Amino acid sequence: MWRAGHNLPAVLSGATTLAALSLATFSVVSLAQNSALALDGTPADPFQKSSGKVVVLVFVRTDCPISNRYAPAIQRVSAKYDAQASFWLVYPDKSETAEKIRQHEREYKYELPALRDPQRALVKLAQVRVTPEVAVFGPNRHLMYHGRIDDLYQDFGHARHAPTTHELEDAIQAAVAGHAPPASSPGVGCFISDLE
Amino acid sequence: MTRAIRTLAVIFWTCLAATLAAGPKDASPGRPHDSADQHVTFNRDIAPILFHSCTVCHRPGEAAPFPLLTYKDAKSHARQIAAVTQKRFMPPWLPEPGEQKFAEELRLTAEQIAVIQKWVEQGTEEGDPADLPAAPKFVLGWQLGQPDEIIKADKPFVLPASGSDMYWNFIFRTPVDRTRWLRAIEIRPGDKRVVHHANILVDRAQSARRQEELAGAGFAGMEIKIASEAFDPDSHFFFWKPGTVPQPEPDGMSLRLDKETDLVLNIHLQPSGKQEVIQPSLGLYFTDKPATLHPMLLQLEGDRQLDIPPGEKNFLVSDEFTLPLDVDLLAIYPHAHYLGKEMQAFATLPDGSVKMLIHILRWDLNWQAVYRYASPVSLPRGTSISMRYTYDNSDENPANPNDPPKRVVAGNRSSDEMAHLWLQVLPQVLPDSTIDPRSVLQESMARRIIEKNPADFEAQYNLGAVLQDRGVMEEALRHFAMAVRIRPEDAIANNALGAALLAAGRIDEAIPRFSAALQAQPDNFDAHYNLANALATQGHFPEAIDHYRAATRLHPDDANAEANLGAALAEAGNLQEAKLHLERALRINPNQELARDNLAEVNRTLNNQHP
Repeated sequence: MWRAGHNLPAVLSGATTLAALSLATFSVVSLAQNSALALDGTPADPFQKSSGKVVVLVFVRTDCPISNRYAPAIQRVSAKYDAQASFWLVYPDKSETAEKIRQHEREYKYELPALRDPQRALVKLAQVRVTPEVAVFGPNRHLMYHGRIDDLYQDFGHARHAPTTHELEDAIQAAVAGHAPPASSPGVGCFISDLE
Repeated sequence: MTRAIRTLAVIFWTCLAATLAAGPKDASPGRPHDSADQHVTFNRDIAPILFHSCTVCHRPGEAAPFPLLTYKDAKSHARQIAAVTQKRFMPPWLPEPGEQKFAEELRLTAEQIAVIQKWVEQGTEEGDPADLPAAPKFVLGWQLGQPDEIIKADKPFVLPASGSDMYWNFIFRTPVDRTRWLRAIEIRPGDKRVVHHANILVDRAQSARRQEELAGAGFAGMEIKIASEAFDPDSHFFFWKPGTVPQPEPDGMSLRLDKETDLVLNIHLQPSGKQEVIQPSLGLYFTDKPATLHPMLLQLEGDRQLDIPPGEKNFLVSDEFTLPLDVDLLAIYPHAHYLGKEMQAFATLPDGSVKMLIHILRWDLNWQAVYRYASPVSLPRGTSISMRYTYDNSDENPANPNDPPKRVVAGNRSSDEMAHLWLQVLPQVLPDSTIDPRSVLQESMARRIIEKNPADFEAQYNLGAVLQDRGVMEEALRHFAMAVRIRPEDAIANNALGAALLAAGRIDEAIPRFSAALQAQPDNFDAHYNLANALATQGHFPEAIDHYRAATRLHPDDANAEANLGAALAEAGNLQEAKLHLERALRINPNQELARDNLAEVNRTLNNQHP
């Protein structure tokens, strides 16, 4: 089974970072039972498919207005870090079908691969609570950051005109450079635990 | 022969939003059941609360992002519901409970909120199907039935996928060919999920069109300025916010809609993450019954006090107004932008007692609304109405548009501030029924504004107009003169001052005022007409004729201008053409006595010349 993710400040040296970029030695056999699914219904492991890049999981829901409002920002950040980070949209709502997700991606102009996570395998691994929270994994599937994208929302209904912090970008940069990631800050949004 | 000048009401509003949130009218369902041991269930305890207070928006096609019509709907958002109700973010309702009740209050009771929390803690049990109340029934489509006329915005507005809130104004050209009376307007704002609120301003002078770069395309702006040349203070709140069910105006309070009146729809939009195309429509419902009751809007404001230093957490702004007559207060609309924090309005009655009119602890522009009282609040003459607003310009206010905070003053942009309080009042009829109570209120309001700021152009002008109407000519003249001093190039003020001087027999002083008006606005009908009258009074008929001709070109259907042109031509000896214009005046208005008498005289003279 999955080992618990941890969120200790990364103290990896440059050398270990480089060494760990090769994920070939990690087995994904355990995915079969309790796996995220690609939209074609087959088990999918974002780590295996991310060829050594930093892995960013973005948890969204088709009917969550806050995660929807973030769509342009998510798309923008993913394009900016295209070379260093592999972004995945993760839909944890069992009732959201592949067709519904494809339509959602079209509507919000997402150009990111989407995964369904009906068993909450990735939710548990990423330790997220609401949509839209993100998880940034460094080498060795090391959970470096989980939480909000930025501080646009302070609370329900209390959005800033523009964010003043950028935790997701900071975390990606930290993961790439092997620096300490930002402290985890909870996101404001729709509770994943409400889903069946 | 002086034409009565019109008063000028410049309305400087935004977002007049009446709260008409719908829902069944029975009060506070979802009372906690008696037995403490019993589990809270959806069917018995939660569904009644949702059906009463949430489903008006949380149903397909409405503003909310997901429906809450079934157990499954509620269960898949259960913790969300618990969190947002506990924080009182939902249902959106800003005023604190108080002595004055508002119509259609959306506020949940503390007991209702506690029941929801308990339901989630206990595991969101569904319960006995027999306990489930009947689902609420909603009217689909136009809420008041098929409108008499539907008008659609000429061109859509495309809302970008991201960015901060936007404010857009659509101008609707109204389809009436004569004066009609409206009993209701239903606003269909377009995509309800991105429209936070919308309200209509009545633009009788079609003044907003000047702000459109492309005809029919609308224009951006949070606060819009509508100029009205008629003493006809608009007093109706036509508004949409999520959950609004339109309501017809009360009996006797229909809205006059003249030919060539525009309706300006000001909407507040919030990007959703994807591009949205917004093309609102309005449903118009006519009535044969003209207005018999004339409510008015009173404004208190503290804009000139607004100079908020960065970091200031509790900046206070206040204003007072003393009622010159008895009124019934019908509705109240507090307004500030993103720094607004706590808002209070209260009335101190002549006997010293105090009535809290509204109290908002935590202002939120996103949920602004006009609040209608469940029953009118009687406020006698001599009552002092006070507003007290505080502002938070620190970085602890997440809505602060400036990062880092900076000095903020009053203005129309969303990053500026405002301190406005609007009250819709119905003035009581005065013992002397010949006096329009609205003009008494108008006079008091103008005097109050001048007391605060003698350089307020509109107030000086309006006071002049009200006084002139009442026949207090000397004082009226002084205020028109003040208005001209404030805006020396304003056509309407120059014309008004000229007309007042003309009425006082000071023709030599009047003529330069009309000339100044025409220099500012060469197509000003009133100034041409009044100047022609002044020149004719002095016997300068050829010049007078030129200006009467200009006036008739501008308003070909004005019987008085035609009659006076005829008279001036007759004076100048051009009887054939005089006859033509006098006849035309009588075709426009068969009861134009001057034209009738002059025509008879002209015909006699012509007959004598050509027997």
